Amino acid sequence: MDEILKQSQLIENDYVKQWKNSAKPVVGYICVATPIEIIEAGGILPYRVRALGSSSTEIADAHLSRFNCSFCRSCLNLGLSGAYDFLDGMIETNGCDHLRGMIENWNYVKKFAFFHYLRVPQIVEEDSMTYFEEELRLYQKALEGHFGRKIDDEGLWAQIQLQNRIREKLKTIYQMREREQSSFTGAEILSIFLLGSAIPSSVLEKLLDRVIEERRNKTLDGYKARLLIAGSITDEVNFIKEIENIGGLVVSDALCYGSRAFWPRVYEEQKDPIKVLAKMYLENLLCPRMFNDFSKRREFVLNAVQRAKVEGVILVHNKFCDVHGVDNVQLRIALEKEGIPVLQLEKDYGGKADTGRLKTRVQAFLERIKGH
Amino acid sequence: MKLFPVGLFDRLANQLAFLSIWPAPIVRTFGSLLLKAKRILDDDTYNALSALFAERNKDVSMAFLKMLSKWISSAKNASGEGKKVLLVPFNFPVEAIHAFDKAVPLTSEVLSTLGVIGLKGQGEQYWDMAMALGLPDHMCSANTVELGSVLSEEDFKPDAIISSAPGGCDVNSKIHEFVSNYLGIPQFFLQKPPDDSGKGFKLYTIYMHKLIKQLEEFIGEKMSEEKLRRVMEKANRCTELYYEIWDIHKAVPCPVPNLFSLFLYGVRFTMWGTDEGIETLETMVKIAKKRLQEKAYPAEKEVARCIWCYTSYYFDLAGFFNWMEEQGYTHLGDGLDLCFPKIIDTSSMDNMVEGLALSAWNMPMTRQVGGESMSGSWTEDVIYAVTELNADCVIYCGHHSCKQTWSVVSILRNEVQKRTGIPLLVLQGDSWIKRMTPISVLQKEIDEFIKNVVLRKKAQGKRKIRRSKKED
Repeated sequence: MDEILKQSQLIENDYVKQWKNSAKPVVGYICVATPIEIIEAGGILPYRVRALGSSSTEIADAHLSRFNCSFCRSCLNLGLSGAYDFLDGMIETNGCDHLRGMIENWNYVKKFAFFHYLRVPQIVEEDSMTYFEEELRLYQKALEGHFGRKIDDEGLWAQIQLQNRIREKLKTIYQMREREQSSFTGAEILSIFLLGSAIPSSVLEKLLDRVIEERRNKTLDGYKARLLIAGSITDEVNFIKEIENIGGLVVSDALCYGSRAFWPRVYEEQKDPIKVLAKMYLENLLCPRMFNDFSKRREFVLNAVQRAKVEGVILVHNKFCDVHGVDNVQLRIALEKEGIPVLQLEKDYGGKADTGRLKTRVQAFLERIKGH
Repeated sequence: MKLFPVGLFDRLANQLAFLSIWPAPIVRTFGSLLLKAKRILDDDTYNALSALFAERNKDVSMAFLKMLSKWISSAKNASGEGKKVLLVPFNFPVEAIHAFDKAVPLTSEVLSTLGVIGLKGQGEQYWDMAMALGLPDHMCSANTVELGSVLSEEDFKPDAIISSAPGGCDVNSKIHEFVSNYLGIPQFFLQKPPDDSGKGFKLYTIYMHKLIKQLEEFIGEKMSEEKLRRVMEKANRCTELYYEIWDIHKAVPCPVPNLFSLFLYGVRFTMWGTDEGIETLETMVKIAKKRLQEKAYPAEKEVARCIWCYTSYYFDLAGFFNWMEEQGYTHLGDGLDLCFPKIIDTSSMDNMVEGLALSAWNMPMTRQVGGESMSGSWTEDVIYAVTELNADCVIYCGHHSCKQTWSVVSILRNEVQKRTGIPLLVLQGDSWIKRMTPISVLQKEIDEFIKNVVLRKKAQGKRKIRRSKKED
């Protein structure tokens, strides 16, 4: 776990350095709707862009505005300041308006050597599924064409099986996290996802085995309440730490650097690996950028609340994040209907000035749910 | 009809119903008389009337209000006539709904705009109602003013909501989804693939076919080919008039009053494809042509010609549209005018449905920031308008909720400056709610920009397009 905690706090971790030293390419992506199996099947390392709590946005603010989400501004800032110069390309998706703007500005100011736009439909139905399959084939071809690597069915199946195994291991970790005597803090779990999306999956699989073994008998205590956190993209380990430092153990989540990145994906046997991936990624994205499936998102959170015996839910969104800003209101209403206490937080990404206010609100929430 | 309604829609319906019972000359005279009796009016009403009943605007204002009166009363009387009211966003082609006998469209942004223009309190209480539910303050006021009123459950409730914003605007899509879930109203979607290849449009046409089928089932009426043809032919007439108005804008000084920009897309978003829509546009053309002949302009001279690249400001028509032209600053139109409608082939049902898909594809916002590149099509459209209409500058209103345009306005600014040599001003303000940036501050910024930047550039002849035209 120590290795995960250390490496997850670096943009260019040791695994990326080793990968680059052996002259192999790294491709960036941002959204969990990006099937990384296709990238890895080409012998390319997929790297999920993050800001790691960096709140500096001076360079980015010349391009994006203060009305854009500060997570995207922070990522753009890192990109334009050279922190991501190790990337050999970028995959854009139409995740949200801010994300699109971030990538468009990044590419405008500092052209990516390789750039591909993977278009992800926002409503699941037969025609959009067919369209997404075609999009995945174009994405596959683009990677093959630029990097000169063959991505064949055999390679795709191998990656799909690897991700299936990883998913099972992550589920084991979640069982250990969500059980009555939890074995992980929420901050540790976030660190696993951070590192896991910045290293080769084959390495991640081994690390997960080690972590499961290491934590099998560990139990955490001394916390006031069991919490679930859901909402906007966040890679702020310190934000989770702050919550846990004042007594709220984050025993589950519905974050895209968390359970939403693996749990809902269901493997279904089919002859064509691209069809398998299209269905796995699009059908249960559980992101509010999708329409017509709020009930699925609500059920996902309610199930996690029940499974992990959660006492309170924190719904968080980065200022100006519209998709989560609105969805969190719907979720709050739905959860409160079920008698689940909810704290809705709007915050600036990485903003240290915000810490005091957020801590006070979480403290008050903990007092509310524990009745003292 | 409630005597003292509290909801935005009901209040507007009452006001417009009152206007519609009187013959036009009486309303015209009454409006002018009211302006002379400022003390009996509240500031908000006086402000709106002074813009609408300014000499250069009043004939078109009358036609526009008459048209809106029909639009809103159709929705008001819908349930009594066995019709369904479908709430649509501004980027949905309303002619698709006009083609049904048993359905009427209502556009949420237009209702918000009318509330902001014409109601005491300018609709802010409805915005506050939405905020009270916990919705974030970075929602779009264009939707939230009206939807706040719907959410209060003290106003009309649409029978269904159509959302065509997925792919073009997150915030618009999400607020409509929220209202649908909160009130248990069915919702239908027209998602826009951010794909400028033929593949994207092909899929979009399939979605349009599917949407029509869903609507037919919901409304309980098969869309008739004949009725659709009649509507589309009228829509084609609207298109011809749109381009007539576009062309008249090219004259120097511009004979088209600034407020016509709002009237033009007001028609597009409500009654496109109807007789009332045609009548309003014809009045606009008639007045604009007359002014062209007379070389009429509200100020002594036209000082600067401005393209507003996205929305304008609607909370103070007199302080914005009228004030600008009284300074000699022509508002040549804004991003919402940039829908560039096409003449639709009405020879078959399939062609007409494809035509509807094309119209939806080309609606403002959808065709620009809903494109494959958020800045790409937007830049092309703005530069085209700048070139065609001989603009001296571009101004971005900076409506705070437009995260997509805020995301790429820096690219637009760079490209406009690089390719045309004219400057682009980025303002900050809410287009519908005055509490964010008062009109006096905006006026000052526009004034300083034009005097210190635009006019200097003009004097230095740094405009690339003009220079290259001369060289040609």
